[in-house]
Amino acid sequence: MLTLQIVLSGILLGGLYACMAVGFSIIWGVTNLINLAHGSMAIMGAYLAWLLWSHTGLDPFLSVPFAAAALFAFGYALQWAVLNRIARTSLFMTLIFTFGLDMVLVNVMFALFSADVRGIPVSYSSAGLVLGEIRLPYTRIAVFVLALLLTLALHLFMDHTRSGQAVRATAQNPRAAAMLGIDSNHINALAFGIGAALAGAAGTLIAVVYSFSPITGSPLTMKAFVIVALGGLGSMRGVIFAGIALGVAENIVSGLLVPGYRDAVSFVLLVLILIFRPRGLFGDRYLFDARMR
Amino acid sequence: MRGCADGGEPAPLPGWRLPRRHTGRALVGMLLLLALVLLAAGPLLLNAYWIRIAANILMYAALAQGINLMAGYTGYPAFGNVVFFGLGGYVTAVLMSKLQLPFAVAIIAAPVLCVLLVLLIGPPLLRLKGHYFAIATLGLNEAVKEVISNTTRLTGGGMGISLPLPPGGPAASALTFYYLFFGTALFATWVTWEFSRRRLGIACQAIRDNEVKAEACGLHTTRYKTTVWMISAAITGVVGSINAYWMTYIDPPAVFDMAIAVKAFVIFLLGGAGTVLGPLFGAVFVELLATFTWSKLLNWHLGAMGLIIMLAIALFPNGLREAIQRIPSLQSLLARLRACGRNDSIEPQPVEGRNSARPSLR
Repeated sequence: MLTLQIVLSGILLGGLYACMAVGFSIIWGVTNLINLAHGSMAIMGAYLAWLLWSHTGLDPFLSVPFAAAALFAFGYALQWAVLNRIARTSLFMTLIFTFGLDMVLVNVMFALFSADVRGIPVSYSSAGLVLGEIRLPYTRIAVFVLALLLTLALHLFMDHTRSGQAVRATAQNPRAAAMLGIDSNHINALAFGIGAALAGAAGTLIAVVYSFSPITGSPLTMKAFVIVALGGLGSMRGVIFAGIALGVAENIVSGLLVPGYRDAVSFVLLVLILIFRPRGLFGDRYLFDARMR
Repeated sequence: MRGCADGGEPAPLPGWRLPRRHTGRALVGMLLLLALVLLAAGPLLLNAYWIRIAANILMYAALAQGINLMAGYTGYPAFGNVVFFGLGGYVTAVLMSKLQLPFAVAIIAAPVLCVLLVLLIGPPLLRLKGHYFAIATLGLNEAVKEVISNTTRLTGGGMGISLPLPPGGPAASALTFYYLFFGTALFATWVTWEFSRRRLGIACQAIRDNEVKAEACGLHTTRYKTTVWMISAAITGVVGSINAYWMTYIDPPAVFDMAIAVKAFVIFLLGGAGTVLGPLFGAVFVELLATFTWSKLLNWHLGAMGLIIMLAIALFPNGLREAIQRIPSLQSLLARLRACGRNDSIEPQPVEGRNSARPSLR
């Protein structure tokens, strides 16, 4: 019974991971940037929800669109003004740059909100679905569903709108897309903005069910990378599957096997994938080859 | 140093080296000798504060040299190389405080363990490239950090571990550590120089430029890559070992800190990727800059460092060396002026000729 409980809550956690990793995946896939500030961006969303909740009493679920919009603007401006220029130089530069950004974001959050661990206690947090011995809080189920809905919304956007198709075209072949008249600066900024918005939304959802502090972000970045590597770059269902797999694996390791090694799970998983199937489970062969070059 | 470090180095990338001048080699050699003498005798003239800063600069120079071997010459962004810094520190701490062994043993054991870790993890990780390799090394750092944090009986875990105090008073030990870091930085630079002109270094540069082609030419790429990573890890491990003894107390977040690796990366990038002396200049520049901003900002030092990194990358995306080269010298400005003058006098002529030719056609 305990095992089932652990697996189920791992699945619910995995949905949240997937939502965050989809943002990471779209940034990586389109702009070829590894956004090392992704986890911190998510925590920015969490603090935004916390601010809205503590000042106006707004329910954290309702602050999702606000956090997403704020981070979209932040991401769009950052990519448009700065990252587009740096991305042309080299891979080292973009990695170091986003790490520097991460340091700045963490420091700003420390200065604004101190190092205290915070959470948003909603009145309905204790209510839950009881199935025999298994108990699943409604908030976690709602977070899971909402996270998957956001991922689905992105999928629909990418497949059925003109902008979304332009983003996909740029991801597949930036030069050809530019030749067809797609403004690559705008598309890169759009992709980064969407990625940041998804991180912010995921962060808001994190705030509903977990406690957080300014340093919660960096392990999340690592997890997002592992999920994208496992699921495969450019594959939406891969990311959802891999997010849930990581959530379950982490819960099993820390709940049943060796407590304290929660964050090492992602590394072991990463090495295994990269040895046995470097392009990920559902990875796009073409995209992978282009990125490995 | 045999006169000049710039001489025997094969050009890694077009445009990375300064144009060779006839008087250049002798001049560079003299300057290097002067710098060496200054570095060796300097601490006798400096006060304790500046000795500490100079030691820090040399420490980062050695770390950046380790990254230079992997990222600059071989093209593998070993982003999480700080794992060897932490591991070297912990080997030293455990050997000295739990087994009461002398520092001389610890400083040899530290790189040995780092090399063993590379032997274990190198072959699978080195199959990856680019972002994948960078993040995999980052993950390696997190994993080792977590193992050290959880083996509390041996390493003290999250509580950290104390080392025996170095012999002599604070002033004497400050000098000792300065010279230890000086020796390590010098040794790392010598290794880089030797590496860059030997078979191993040339093979690694071939791998960086085109790995498939290098392999097709018969190079056993995995063996070369693992070897160079072992060298890089050993240098980083020695630095970590000295650092732990210097600090006399370490804990996992302090020595497995990604910010250390990133700073070394910034130093190596600004100084000039894939050059022998670049990391030394980068270390002086970045560390002095960091020290000046650091001492004034207490609550914002993390953000200030991040901002420095972001600005440095945004302003000099091709390194300091290229930025300096782009500043036109007086000579080239004069030459350009003269060329302009000549063009002005030449250009109107054909126009006149055409104009004068037209009437004759009528």
